[in-house]
Amino acid sequence: MSVQRLLSVGIDIGTTTTQLIFSRLTLENQASSFSVPQISITGKEVVFQSPVHFTPLLDARHIDAQAVRELVRQDYAAAGVAPAEVETGAVIITGETARKDNADAVLSMLAGLAGDFVVATAGPALESILAGKGAGCAELSRNRHRAVLNLDIGGGTTNMALFADGQVVDTGCLNVGGRLLRYNAAHEIDYLSPVLAPFCALQLGQRVGEEDLQPVAQLLAQVLEQALGLREQSSLPQFITDKNIALPGDFPLLCFSGGVADTLRGDLPWDSFGDLGVLLGREIRKSRLFEQTVVPAQQTIRATVIGAGSHSTELSGSTIFYRNMTFPLKNLPVIALTRAEEALSPALLSDKIMQKLARHPDEQVVLALRGESCTDFSALQRLGEGIAQGLRSQTALLIAARADIGKALGQTVACRLPETPLVALDGVPLDEGSYLDIGNPVAGGQALPVVIKTLILS
Amino acid sequence: MNKDELTTIVAQMLRQMSGLSDEPPVKAADYTPTAPTPDFGKVDLRKQYLVENPANGAAFLSLKAKTPARIGVGRAGARYKTETMLRFRADHAAAQDSVFSLVPEEFYKKNNLVFVQTRCKDKDEYLTRPDLGRRFDEKNQQIIRQVGQGQRVLLVIGDGLSSAAVEANAIDCAAAIRQGLSASGITLGETLFIQYCRVGASDHIGDLTGCELVCMLVGERPGLVTSESMSAYITYKPHIGISESKRTVISNIHRQGTPALEAGAHIASLIPTMLAQKASGIDLRQEGMQ
Repeated sequence: MSVQRLLSVGIDIGTTTTQLIFSRLTLENQASSFSVPQISITGKEVVFQSPVHFTPLLDARHIDAQAVRELVRQDYAAAGVAPAEVETGAVIITGETARKDNADAVLSMLAGLAGDFVVATAGPALESILAGKGAGCAELSRNRHRAVLNLDIGGGTTNMALFADGQVVDTGCLNVGGRLLRYNAAHEIDYLSPVLAPFCALQLGQRVGEEDLQPVAQLLAQVLEQALGLREQSSLPQFITDKNIALPGDFPLLCFSGGVADTLRGDLPWDSFGDLGVLLGREIRKSRLFEQTVVPAQQTIRATVIGAGSHSTELSGSTIFYRNMTFPLKNLPVIALTRAEEALSPALLSDKIMQKLARHPDEQVVLALRGESCTDFSALQRLGEGIAQGLRSQTALLIAARADIGKALGQTVACRLPETPLVALDGVPLDEGSYLDIGNPVAGGQALPVVIKTLILS
Repeated sequence: MNKDELTTIVAQMLRQMSGLSDEPPVKAADYTPTAPTPDFGKVDLRKQYLVENPANGAAFLSLKAKTPARIGVGRAGARYKTETMLRFRADHAAAQDSVFSLVPEEFYKKNNLVFVQTRCKDKDEYLTRPDLGRRFDEKNQQIIRQVGQGQRVLLVIGDGLSSAAVEANAIDCAAAIRQGLSASGITLGETLFIQYCRVGASDHIGDLTGCELVCMLVGERPGLVTSESMSAYITYKPHIGISESKRTVISNIHRQGTPALEAGAHIASLIPTMLAQKASGIDLRQEGMQ
């Protein structure tokens, strides 16, 4: 059985650190030669890890894009990889840094370097998911059949992702991190995050000792306890960036990644990094979180970058349809059909699709559907007719189904709109509000690599 | 028993029946109808877990979702539970039925298929004489020649070893093939339905019609997992004596395997490749990974 390998890059530009990895994804056809092909990603091997660089900043609110570009260029050279060799991957700007004013400039600066099909960040939900997968929580939840909650505690934020049976269930993000407060070698505060201001009386320039900072670290640990429902809520709302996480009744296994996870052993001097990191680690260790079952992470400070490099790319099903299309396609907003809408007559369905399209004027969108009920040829014709009518204003038709109907549906739509560029994927579960990237065809054109950028989890 | 005794008994019975008897009638136990037994054949085995008091039933169920194997069925003493045993026998019966029953006439009439029959006279002969299932008599040869005349690609549907498979999948699959091929400029003509059909019947059809490619949808030997699994055997320039390795096979076409529509779409994209390469089976070079 022949295999194909894809070189994937992960670049994580965080509040504190910037890292890069290269990972080799192995694709194999897992079907017997008497069946339709079934290409899967069967291996993910990290082949290069950059050193953990400090993220170069121009000032408190601006990343030094030029310096980041130089770091990435050096890492490519050290790995012996030319940008053109990179086939997939993700660059993400995480944590507080994402709110820095020039994030877009940084991404465009990296665009040429990072290869053709490399996607950019899409908010805290994706970061949480990638960090959780990089820490090994998705796999752990599948192997142990237990829910696993990962807390990726970095410099500016704590990204939480809950996994059950290998799937993401929910995510959340808090402004809890090791570098919300920083001090220089003389222990004088030189940065104080506005998030902390309402909760402590410390001032910029003030000289601080361990005893001054311990209460701040304790407060942050208590915010985590509140977020997980282990302490009555008080200060939590001020720390939530987008939303908190919803936990199941049966408390999940806890896993810690991110830079702060490396300080949980508590054997480092309190001022090792000129920030709150070590003290926060100690406070978490003493907190109610550690009264729960804590499992070790496969990756700590590198979890997010490994998630971005090894776990961002997925494959479509292997019986799909596309024609007259140029890849890669990036940042396609998703409009989704409900089960009930899929069952509508072609006329009503096309109306529904056009209503949804109206929310994305002049944009290329992906129409997402389930397709499980489409089991006979007449149902297929109905669905295909409705979709062809509804999407006919689009210059290219992009369809993604969950059920294995991509090729049949593609052919159905294709014969109604001859020549229109068309992609019909299957095996790709998408929700309204997500974004999709589609890479160059792999496995001799039988499958397409995709990156699903989830914004909302249902 | 003498005649008098018999007369007495009959008289007594008549009295009882007319309600004149002073003796209370003997009464059987009350009959209370119970809820009808569910159709075990319809239960999805991948979602059924019968072990009592499991340590982690949910985890086992998530494993079961990946296989139709009869695991996690619990036990009664050293044996299967009644439900498992009945299901096993129901599946076995369904498999036997699909081998021994005929595809009804209505099926090929309604779907405008042209009926032909191999040299087999009946199912018994079909099962015992595979050689006869690959050849046609003079009368059927005539029909096949007519249908195949001028067709580059001939689509045929054979009952094979499972009539249930053909009834469940063949029409949707054939429609998807027809639609997909039309996009490649290949228009299919009439479709044959072959009763008592073996895969090798393709070869005789090739010789009779001179079609460049024959695509046969045929019922697979049923198993206990499904009796509705169909295969497509596609042969470029089939002729009597062609090696089996020259056929391309797409198997496991059924609801839980490759859906009929998607299989049809796949076949429709495979056929133009075969025509372009003038090859099928191991001679066919497919792009990408095999």
